[in-house]
Amino acid sequence: MKNENKIKLFLVDDDAVFLKSLEIEFLQHADFIIETFATGELCMESISNNPDIVILDYHLNGIDLDAMNGIDTLDKIKAFNSNIPVVMLSSQDQINVAVNCMHHKAFDYVVKSETAFMRLQKIITDILHYQKIEKELNWYMDRM
Amino acid sequence: MEASTKQESQYARSLIEASLDPLVTINTEGKITDMNEALANITGITRERLTGTDFFDYFTEPQKAREVYQEVFAKGSVADSPLTLRHQAGKLTDVLFNGSVYKDDSGNVLGVVIVARDVTAQKLLSKYSLSLIEASRDPLVTISTEGKITDMNEATVNITGLTREKLTGTNFFDYFTEPQKAREVYQEVFANGSVADSPLTLRHKGGKLTDVLFNGSVYKDDRGNVLGVVIVARDVTEQKRIATELTEAKVFAELATEIAEVAKSKAESAKSIAEDAVKAKQQFLSNMSHEIRTPMNAIIGFTKVLLRTDLHLKQKEYLNAIKTSGDSLIVLINDILDLAKVDAGKMTFSQTPFKMSLSISAMLHLFETKIQEKNLELITEYDKKIPDILLGDPVRLHQIILNLVSNSVKFTAKGKITVRVHLLSEDEEKVTIQFSVTDTGIGIEKNKIKKIFESFQQASSGTSRLYGGTGLGLAIVKQLVEPQGGTINVTSKIDEGSTFSFTLSFLKTKTEAELETAVIELDEENKNIKILVVEDIALNQLLMKTLLEDAGFECDIAFNGKIAIEKLSQRNGNGVVNSYDIILMDLQMPEMNGFEATDYIRNRMNSMIPIIALTADVTTVDLEKCKAVGMNDYIAKPVDERLLYSKIISLVNKTIFSDANKHQVHIDQNLNVSSLNTKTKCIDLDYLRHRTKSNPVLMMEMISLYLEQTPPLILAMKQGLEKKDWDLVFSAAHKMIPSFSIMGISMVHENTAKKVQEYARTKKQTETIPALVLQLENICSQACKELEEEFNNIKNTK
Repeated sequence: MKNENKIKLFLVDDDAVFLKSLEIEFLQHADFIIETFATGELCMESISNNPDIVILDYHLNGIDLDAMNGIDTLDKIKAFNSNIPVVMLSSQDQINVAVNCMHHKAFDYVVKSETAFMRLQKIITDILHYQKIEKELNWYMDRM
Repeated sequence: MEASTKQESQYARSLIEASLDPLVTINTEGKITDMNEALANITGITRERLTGTDFFDYFTEPQKAREVYQEVFAKGSVADSPLTLRHQAGKLTDVLFNGSVYKDDSGNVLGVVIVARDVTAQKLLSKYSLSLIEASRDPLVTISTEGKITDMNEATVNITGLTREKLTGTNFFDYFTEPQKAREVYQEVFANGSVADSPLTLRHKGGKLTDVLFNGSVYKDDRGNVLGVVIVARDVTEQKRIATELTEAKVFAELATEIAEVAKSKAESAKSIAEDAVKAKQQFLSNMSHEIRTPMNAIIGFTKVLLRTDLHLKQKEYLNAIKTSGDSLIVLINDILDLAKVDAGKMTFSQTPFKMSLSISAMLHLFETKIQEKNLELITEYDKKIPDILLGDPVRLHQIILNLVSNSVKFTAKGKITVRVHLLSEDEEKVTIQFSVTDTGIGIEKNKIKKIFESFQQASSGTSRLYGGTGLGLAIVKQLVEPQGGTINVTSKIDEGSTFSFTLSFLKTKTEAELETAVIELDEENKNIKILVVEDIALNQLLMKTLLEDAGFECDIAFNGKIAIEKLSQRNGNGVVNSYDIILMDLQMPEMNGFEATDYIRNRMNSMIPIIALTADVTTVDLEKCKAVGMNDYIAKPVDERLLYSKIISLVNKTIFSDANKHQVHIDQNLNVSSLNTKTKCIDLDYLRHRTKSNPVLMMEMISLYLEQTPPLILAMKQGLEKKDWDLVFSAAHKMIPSFSIMGISMVHENTAKKVQEYARTKKQTETIPALVLQLENICSQACKELEEEFNNIKNTK
């Protein structure tokens, strides 16, 4: 019963250390259901579990060059359900990378640093707020 | 016989009289011979007067009546011929005229018997339904089996724009935009007996179209033969219009949301670009001010040294000019750095015990010369009720008051400056103090008061030309007061002066104030002090040496932390370990930096020798780190020699006081100095502990993940190096970067990894990569070793 109110998060990163640290932070700070994936392929296999939000590493094909990269994964998620908000995560602080992510309909872009978690938390709050507004808008539209 | 015949005829007579329908017999000349009572009633004329009159005169259309009557003679009978009888008072009665001849026994026609049936009631009824039909706003049409219009209502006339006469007998289907379709629908009616809600469009002769829903059903005669079709075409124009408007509204709303979404995503990407730009700006400011500070340190330092030598007047004047410019440049850089820190949220406030009254008087002391030069008066009002020692951040308090007083001095040409320190309230835990600085200067215009707290703003753009300054001072003051929970207020009157006041709360404390911020004058007996300066830049070494030896201190130099430790453990000619009274330690050095060296001195050598950090970048993060490794104090470059002397002396005196044995350095003689690097811990699990709330399971998970992930990354990096596959090197370095800060490995190594990443990405300076990768390999394998130990420690204590 209680699980229905929790927010379901997908964390996707091939950096196991960072992935774990993120998971720990999320589990400690709020009520989340968290699923973690080391690759975009694994994430896509479970995408039918309908996550509320996906946090996705940009550089997923760093070591395994054949792996699906972050942008491709992002596109696939959006193709599956364009309503799933995806926040991109990367240690790259280059503006063109961020802009590219936004072009591929990422909700936001966060640089990996000590404050990444705080920013993610804030972004998740924003996402929920935004979704609420959109829902209200739809409701009014239907009434029209 | 006679009687029965009579009786019979009487009976027939009464039957005739009882009928409500007029009954008349007419002779061959058309004269009335007999009638019943009903006729008398309908015409309003008595039987006597009716008898023998011309029957046809009682109809509205006598000629027609006569024709019908002749028809009776011709055919022998007539049925249901419609005619109208007139009452003598004018009332009309619609009747159906039925008649037949009657003959004598020999077959000669004697006359006609006529029954005129009163149909007024039926007529009314049918009129009523007709009016109903006419009242309908939906077109109603009857069509013959051939498809010709036989009848219609007014609505049909209106929609088609044609008169009834013109419509009657025409082809019904011609009035639709799609006659073929209409015909099909009509055929469907015949086939199925009815049709419902078939959508069609009627055309007005003027061209106007009307959307209708076509409903029809056949009508039959009594014997069931189909006579035609009745069609109701419901006008749905209005519904259609509403539906269209609804879809249009929907489309518009969808478009609007789409536009809003595009705008939003645009705004978001613009926002992220702006944020990155702000970050870059802060980083740039921070870096630049750091880079500028280092050479300024040498410029100002040597100017001061030079000023103490024998100079003639002109030379002194020039050197003073250099020093003043240098000083103001440093103030500006510090201001910028402070603001950058505030913007980055890195400004923190310490909670140290300090003496408020001393602190303020020492600070105001700095303005004495300037105030005397301008011939101003400085008045200090200090509330004696304020507790001696309070807990707070004296450095930041200085900065606030310094900025306010220097503004007042700057903008006041004559008169006085009053500094008030007033106890506002006091409870068991804390005191709230109001500080105010009042001057008799130029004042600020009312509408400018809000602006002066913004960065790079002065009350008027001409101000900086007249009085100098960057316009950063008050912005910093605001940023320093408000995060500490204080408020700042300004009251001002043009040409009369301004009062800046702010309130801050301080916690009470019982501990002694640690350090006197008051400047201690050099004393002769303090001069037997031996100082070890650890500094890698030759210019700075020379400067420190000059400054210290000028003040009469004995001075020794070490190039880096490793050499400093070697010097500390060396024995002199008499076999006695070198003893120093104090160490001045630079933080950023090659081989072994200031943090590592201090850590070693405190933990391995167990020495409590006072250590002062020398740093160019006074970020709070660094200062905390200084304290954490066990440094006693810090001093910012460029070094203010008076502050330096006073810090040296107060620290040395304290140590002498507390440690009668003086600071003999106890050294573990078995220690091999060359193995220092590997013995210093490179990891720091504080961050991890903090994040996991010291949960051993989580910590072990994190550590084992690091141990799993890191060696393959190093391997990949080396492979990439061999094959000159820079992309692989880039990826491996890239992936490694976040783990440094998680495991508390120094920024230095993280930066090494970032360099590798950058060089590999741009494929520039690739020749330096192998050395950097080697460094990373060493540090990572060391980190792995240490983490394994930690892992086992946690496991065992669990």
